Amino acid sequence: MIGLLVSLGGCDDFLTKEVLGNSTDENFFDTKYKLQAALNASYDVLQMDLFNECEWRFGEACADDVWGGDEGLGSQMGQLVHFRFNTSNEWIRNRYDINYKGIHRANQVIANVNRVKLSIYDYNSYREIREILGQAKFLRALYYFNLVKTYGGVPIRQETETVDNLVIPRSTAEEVYAYIEKDLREAAIMLPARYVGNDAGKADEGAAVALLMKVLMYQAIPGEKSEKWEEIVRLGEFFVDGTPLTFGEILKFDNTVETWEALRKRLWFQPQEEIQPSDPYETDNTLLNPLHNAYSIEYKDYYGNSISYVEQFFQIGEFCKGSVFEVVFKESADGSGGDENEGTPIYTNHYSTSPQIWSTDAIIQEIFSSDARRSFMIGHQQYAPDGEIAQTGPGRHFSLKWYTPIKDRPQYGGDNGKNRRLIRYAEVILMYAEALNECGKGDLALIKLNFLKSQANKIDNSSNLYVGGGYGYMRDQIWKERRIELCYEWDRFFDLVRQGRAAEVIKIYGAKRANKRGYYFRKGINELFPIPQSEIDISNGIVVQNPGY
Amino acid sequence: MMMTVNISCEQDVIKNPKATIEINKDKLNINESLQIVFTGEADQVVIFTGDDMHNYDLRKESNTGFVVDKNVFTYSYATPGTYKVVCIASTYGDAAVNLQFDTCAVVITVIDDQTEIDRLSCPQILYDEVFAERLANDNWIMRLPRKVRYNNLTPSIALSQRLKFYVQSDSTQFFINGNAFESTKKYDLSSTVNIDVKSHFGTVRPYTLHTLYYPEFESFKMLGVNGKLKRTEFDYSSFELEITLPNGTDVSHVIPEFKTYAATDKIYINDVEQISTVTAVDFTHNVTYKIVSFLAGNSDIQAIGTVKIKIIYQ
Repeated sequence: MIGLLVSLGGCDDFLTKEVLGNSTDENFFDTKYKLQAALNASYDVLQMDLFNECEWRFGEACADDVWGGDEGLGSQMGQLVHFRFNTSNEWIRNRYDINYKGIHRANQVIANVNRVKLSIYDYNSYREIREILGQAKFLRALYYFNLVKTYGGVPIRQETETVDNLVIPRSTAEEVYAYIEKDLREAAIMLPARYVGNDAGKADEGAAVALLMKVLMYQAIPGEKSEKWEEIVRLGEFFVDGTPLTFGEILKFDNTVETWEALRKRLWFQPQEEIQPSDPYETDNTLLNPLHNAYSIEYKDYYGNSISYVEQFFQIGEFCKGSVFEVVFKESADGSGGDENEGTPIYTNHYSTSPQIWSTDAIIQEIFSSDARRSFMIGHQQYAPDGEIAQTGPGRHFSLKWYTPIKDRPQYGGDNGKNRRLIRYAEVILMYAEALNECGKGDLALIKLNFLKSQANKIDNSSNLYVGGGYGYMRDQIWKERRIELCYEWDRFFDLVRQGRAAEVIKIYGAKRANKRGYYFRKGINELFPIPQSEIDISNGIVVQNPGY
Repeated sequence: MMMTVNISCEQDVIKNPKATIEINKDKLNINESLQIVFTGEADQVVIFTGDDMHNYDLRKESNTGFVVDKNVFTYSYATPGTYKVVCIASTYGDAAVNLQFDTCAVVITVIDDQTEIDRLSCPQILYDEVFAERLANDNWIMRLPRKVRYNNLTPSIALSQRLKFYVQSDSTQFFINGNAFESTKKYDLSSTVNIDVKSHFGTVRPYTLHTLYYPEFESFKMLGVNGKLKRTEFDYSSFELEITLPNGTDVSHVIPEFKTYAATDKIYINDVEQISTVTAVDFTHNVTYKIVSFLAGNSDIQAIGTVKIKIIYQ
């Protein structure tokens, strides 16, 4: 017994030695590679099945372009699309959680960027860190945008979480939008115009400016003049027409709030004292990288080769001229299901013999009428562009946007690596057109609208164009084109809400359905979903519920 | 040594359920939150809210309740009425056997006193929807074009138009000049329209709707030549007036002759009032007339049109 005690006493030094070679909270972020790893984790949320599930369940299934296979009031999904849910609905909880997961991961990058130690203090070293930080800001903005358009004002999490700040009250929607805008404005000056080559797929300036336009549009009210609409016009002039825009303009830079040099330092522009004569020095008058030549409404692939309309959504169309930001999926080729980085469930939910949602003849007629883009809907036992016969089930129609051509199919069924288009140049044009009309420039709005329509007309050599008219007529035509061009891209519900007509449209749709799905939409209430009940419960009254729930 | 091992089957003891709830109020407005806190004893709690598809009495006809999470349930009603809220508290043993349940109920009254008009429009000005502007004291002003340009045609717009109301409640009723509103009927907007908005609760709120055409020149002549008014599809208040004059015509001091549709209209250039056949104008510079129409008896209610003069020399 004595001998045993002696031998135990001899291990003391070994136990107190620092473990070498492992990452700790202190050193995890000390190189750009580690910071990049943290950024990858934030991108990873975009690829998660749950993130995408919540995207289509809210953005598409809650609106009027689809029917679903899960519409019974006995299920959580059925209650959601009927607007007969309670505040504990699992999908309402899931969407809240998954977007905060993305925010948390982006915050890890943003909060810890200053721990990076450069080995060389040159322009490129700063640029590399700046671009990682800019992408994290874009992603954080995207996740917060998802939250604010779903729940209204939400808690803005502190970048560094501690046990003392776990429960924080909701900010107002205006405050959340301001927070998002700031991230996007800064991301726009931090990022290159468009990532290419191996970097294609990263969020870039184009993605930041496009999302900023959308965020502004969601704050603007149709029919009411506002600075938001005016700024969308200004951003459209820059993005589409090539009118120069300075760093100071997009930032709304105010040197009474922060000096230019302090801003440069915060955003990882090379400090003035370290700049070499050959290095650029960015000021508030520096011009943003132009975008008007980086994108096109023409159907062209990444290399500039012509592709068909629907091929924009296939693998051949990944990073095509009309794609601004994509969720990148990768085929793992290991045959396993449920992996990260694979988009399989997206495609099986929308194009398979057992889909979650589908469209109908009547809806297709309502959306497209005689528009050529109708031909990219496919019905039961019709043929896909590569000759495969569709087994959608009688009466069901799918959008070929979610079709995976035979040649693109992965070796194993669960490994689909086809990207999801999240922001497209066509939407940039449509946001620009809508803002022009809202600013009393209907004539210019018509030019932009027909610019897009003319491209679509090439599908069947049609000559149908939109016709000039008063404000409301132009607005309706722009909204019609939005529905046609952007259909089945999971944005319809939120588009209807921000247009202020969700109740009107969804109730009419619900009245036509045998199960009345959507008929119970409550105007003034259901435009926002409730904060998940568990958040209310654990906050002990600090997080306040939305009105009507 | 012998050890005795006692193995006993644990008796599946099921608690008696007790259904009791507390509510924050029993009289609510539509869309106002009702909070129900379950204070009883149960393994599972379900609330039937009493409205359509959630009526406890119709539970055998596919009406369903809501499962309550963590003893707190919030809800609101879209339609006014009296609702029986039923709480079912249930307990059960392992494998969901020996189900026992208890129920309790409260009656909720929901009223709808919504009389606020959010927006008001003429929904069919040819293909356009034109919105009225809200003024003070529940007055609204609708400004309509006299004509619109559409596909190279210029059809006239009558002052007999349909109306459309945007309100938060489906139960609100409207009365136009004392008669029940019909969405497909055309109403005479040439004089002030009295609108009564009656909530389901019974409150009546009066509104008035005034209508003016955007003013424009009925005729415009200078140096004996008639101008031709051109309108745009996009803006009902802006016009261009083309006048063709011989090359070399001196337009530096010209007294035009013009007429608008309403004798009370005021015409200005840069805030200086212009009188037909009296005021001289230098047309060597760009000239834009501003025409202001007033509502009879209330000069604060206006419609403004602008006319840009374009002289073509040939």
